[in-house]
Amino acid sequence: MRRAFLGEFEELVLLVVAACTTDAYGVTIWEEIQQQTGRSITMSAVHATLYRLEEKGFLSSTMGGATAERGGRRKRFFTLTALSVRALNDIQEMRSRLWQAIPPGKFQLIGG
Amino acid sequence: MKKQTTPPRWADWLLETCLSPHILEDVQGDLHEVFDKRTMEVGAGKARREFVWAVLHYVNPYFFKARQRTNKSSEYPSPSFLHPAMLRNYLTIALRTLTLNKAYSIINVVGLSIGLAAAMLIMLYTKDEVSYDRFHANNPNLYRITSRDYTPAGKPENFQSNTGIFQGPKFAAGVPEIKSFVRFESNRKDLKQGNDVKSQEVFFTDPDFFQLFSFPLLSGDPKTALQRPKTVVISEDMAEKQFGTTDALGKLVLIKENDQFEPFTVTGVAAKCPQNSSIKFDVLLPKIVPSEEFADNENWFSVFLNTFVLLTPNANIKAVEAKMNQIYQADAKNTIVEMRKKFDMKSNAVYSLQSFTDMHLSTDLPATNGLADESNPTFSYILSGIALFVLIIACINFVNLTVARSLKRAKEIGVRKVVGGGRSQLIIQFLGESFLLCFIAFALAVLLVILVLPTFNQLSNKALTFSYLLDIKLIIGYVALFIITGLLAGFYPAIVLSGYNPVQSLYSRFKFTGKNYLQRSLVVLQFTLASVLIVATLTIYSQFNFLTTKSLGYDDSHMVVVGKSGLTRSEARLLKDELQQFPSIVEVAPKNGGFWGTIAKVGSDEKQLSFAYETVDETYLPLFKIPILAGRNFSADFPGDSTHSVLVNESFVKEAGWKNPLGQAVNFFAGEKPEKYTVVGVVKDYHYVPINQKIKSQLFTMKPKNDFGKAFIKIKPNTETESLQAIERTFKKLFPISPYSYSFLDEDNLKKYESIAKWKQIMLFGAILTIFISCIGLFGLATLSAERRTKEIGIRKVLGASVSSIVQLLSSDFLRLVGFSFLFAFPIAYYAIDKWLENYPYRIDISLWMFIATASLATLIAFFTVSFQSIRAAISNPIKSLRSE
Repeated sequence: MRRAFLGEFEELVLLVVAACTTDAYGVTIWEEIQQQTGRSITMSAVHATLYRLEEKGFLSSTMGGATAERGGRRKRFFTLTALSVRALNDIQEMRSRLWQAIPPGKFQLIGG
Repeated sequence: MKKQTTPPRWADWLLETCLSPHILEDVQGDLHEVFDKRTMEVGAGKARREFVWAVLHYVNPYFFKARQRTNKSSEYPSPSFLHPAMLRNYLTIALRTLTLNKAYSIINVVGLSIGLAAAMLIMLYTKDEVSYDRFHANNPNLYRITSRDYTPAGKPENFQSNTGIFQGPKFAAGVPEIKSFVRFESNRKDLKQGNDVKSQEVFFTDPDFFQLFSFPLLSGDPKTALQRPKTVVISEDMAEKQFGTTDALGKLVLIKENDQFEPFTVTGVAAKCPQNSSIKFDVLLPKIVPSEEFADNENWFSVFLNTFVLLTPNANIKAVEAKMNQIYQADAKNTIVEMRKKFDMKSNAVYSLQSFTDMHLSTDLPATNGLADESNPTFSYILSGIALFVLIIACINFVNLTVARSLKRAKEIGVRKVVGGGRSQLIIQFLGESFLLCFIAFALAVLLVILVLPTFNQLSNKALTFSYLLDIKLIIGYVALFIITGLLAGFYPAIVLSGYNPVQSLYSRFKFTGKNYLQRSLVVLQFTLASVLIVATLTIYSQFNFLTTKSLGYDDSHMVVVGKSGLTRSEARLLKDELQQFPSIVEVAPKNGGFWGTIAKVGSDEKQLSFAYETVDETYLPLFKIPILAGRNFSADFPGDSTHSVLVNESFVKEAGWKNPLGQAVNFFAGEKPEKYTVVGVVKDYHYVPINQKIKSQLFTMKPKNDFGKAFIKIKPNTETESLQAIERTFKKLFPISPYSYSFLDEDNLKKYESIAKWKQIMLFGAILTIFISCIGLFGLATLSAERRTKEIGIRKVLGASVSSIVQLLSSDFLRLVGFSFLFAFPIAYYAIDKWLENYPYRIDISLWMFIATASLATLIAFFTVSFQSIRAAISNPIKSLRSE
């Protein structure tokens, strides 16, 4: 299976889902991303990304039970799939390879 | 479950429409969760704004299209709501609910179809009325020349729809916009048909007739058909009658002219005139005006025919009229002065044009004098009004009843939702059901129209066919009505009920209490209308009764009328002598034919008076048992009576202002030479005009120069057959070339009530229809209220209420509404019938009993309708109503 390309925001969302200690659903993910990045992000962007990732097979979702708040509407909980774990690992590996490939002292030289 | 603050509904709605359903729930839930949280943190206003802002971001194709991309997302794929199994289920359920209460369903559907059928019939009628004369190709440019008299002060007086021989040719010559003219004069001629002589209505007209009007000729050249004298164009019916074939071109028709039959060549056979044509002819003859007539300028004032003109397209009517009047003023200048002097004429005629298509329904300038089917638009208006009301009430009733029944199906809707019925499915189901019902009603209505059309034609004096309705505009109208009724009837269960949470409709008993102002006011409206119509019907009936039973002031029983134009004194004498040999014939009295009127200067002060001018002999008054109040009748003992004496009626005396009428002078000045007569007797007023007109001045003369035109023959009772045979034989022997026709005077008199009889029928029809439809509405409401109060009735019965007290409880509500409707109905009814009765100089008084009768009738009908339901509710076993939930 060819590895699908992951965008920066997609990767971020996957990482947030991975990092969640409780069940991850729209609101928690949205809040976590805002907190972690410090950026203001619309809910629709998060939802669109979540569904896109699900379509690509990076996430799977199940509907939770009926809730008392939010008008009785159920939550959709997202979990990582094997594919996404592999993809995140790949990215991580590639990045560390690249990090190691940076000649020592180069950053100091540029950053001054 | 209810929260203090909710996000804006429209935003939710937006979300619901933009998002594909499988992701809607969690997305909406997430947004609401955030909203709730933000409400706590920053307040409702800001939270709302943020919610809307967030929602707006979902308006993009990604979310909308999500459905199509993910097929696997739905765990339980909902079958299409048009799946055959579902359709079958809908149909089964629909039929079951219909059969559950058969009477109810039948009344509902039949009520609507009756309303629809009535509306269709009336639409046919009015469509036919307004379609009159519209088939002519020249139409927007066809006009009739009319005139109106104005007093010297410029005040408009009477209208004149007729013109003479001058107006057509003179205006056409002088006004360039008038392309051509056609005069149309009605006359009667005697026609030979085999060995019989028939009096036939014929029309004299100009050669351009077939150019102006679109009457197709089956054979013959429309351009030249009427150009030569002694030619005739006949209708296909006439050709069939005369020659037994429509192939009649070149054949001869014998028409009496100057007391002998002369051959006329058929130069054209015309197709039958359309039913909706004001011009209906069987025989057309060329109009020939002798040159000396055309030289006599007094003919400007002799009006007796209709003149039609064809204008150039886009001609300015006002300019044409102005030019016409200029021509008249210039050409008739001297004659106007002469006539003023001679007849003491003060008024001034102003010519105008009337659109050809306006003629049929015009009241000021009606289609008379040879034009057929003159019609009063009031009939159409009233009928259309009734139709519209009936239709609206029927539709609203249908909606009301359907909605009332669907309330009982709230549980069904709840169950359907619980087992996964989507809202759109419910909408389709209920709308489909109401459309099905509606369709049945429409189909029934069409059937009904086809069934009653022959009777309706008879009543309305028309030849309507159903194919008339197959008109694109009417069909669109009916389809629109169908859709609106269907939508309205299905709207409540489909849109409102399906929107409720199933928990609500399943757990709590559904509440359909409430004031129901709409339905209540509808009942009041319906019964107001019904009561007005009942009062109107009662009034018309009693007025009709009054007129038909009122004494005419003369004895019209056993009186045969035989017409013979130009009946001379000697001929009358001969007829009288011959007829009196038969034992069954009592007496014969000749009289002038038709209706004559003239003017004279009367009395010592030479007051000018117009009056009915009757030429009779001394037998006339005694024969009709008309009393003479003063003076004497004409008598053979006074040979000078025929040249010197006249009798007048009471109205004449009153009009002339005479205290002592006998011996007064009547001075005829309008004829060739002035003649002076003396009044020798006063006759009691009798209804010589139709009884719905006022008796006016009348004068009797025996002047020998005036020909008689008909003879009244009094026969002994129960000798009709032999008397008529005797009369016919004698007539044919004496006048072989005159057409023979007879009628009974009392039957002729009855015919004069046709117009009021028509009113009677229309009103009765309208009243019955409205009452019926109103009762359906009331019935539906009564059912609803009885159903609503089942438990209450059960408890009341358990506690000892009697059946009658429960019936009273259930009925009194509605009877109060009906009573309330009288408050509106009676003033309206009073005003309407008062106005209507003003048309009749001899009329009944508006009496209280009519209103009392109406009130009790309406109340009774309403009571029976309501009690049907309430008695059923009251006698039902309380166990049943209390045990089941």
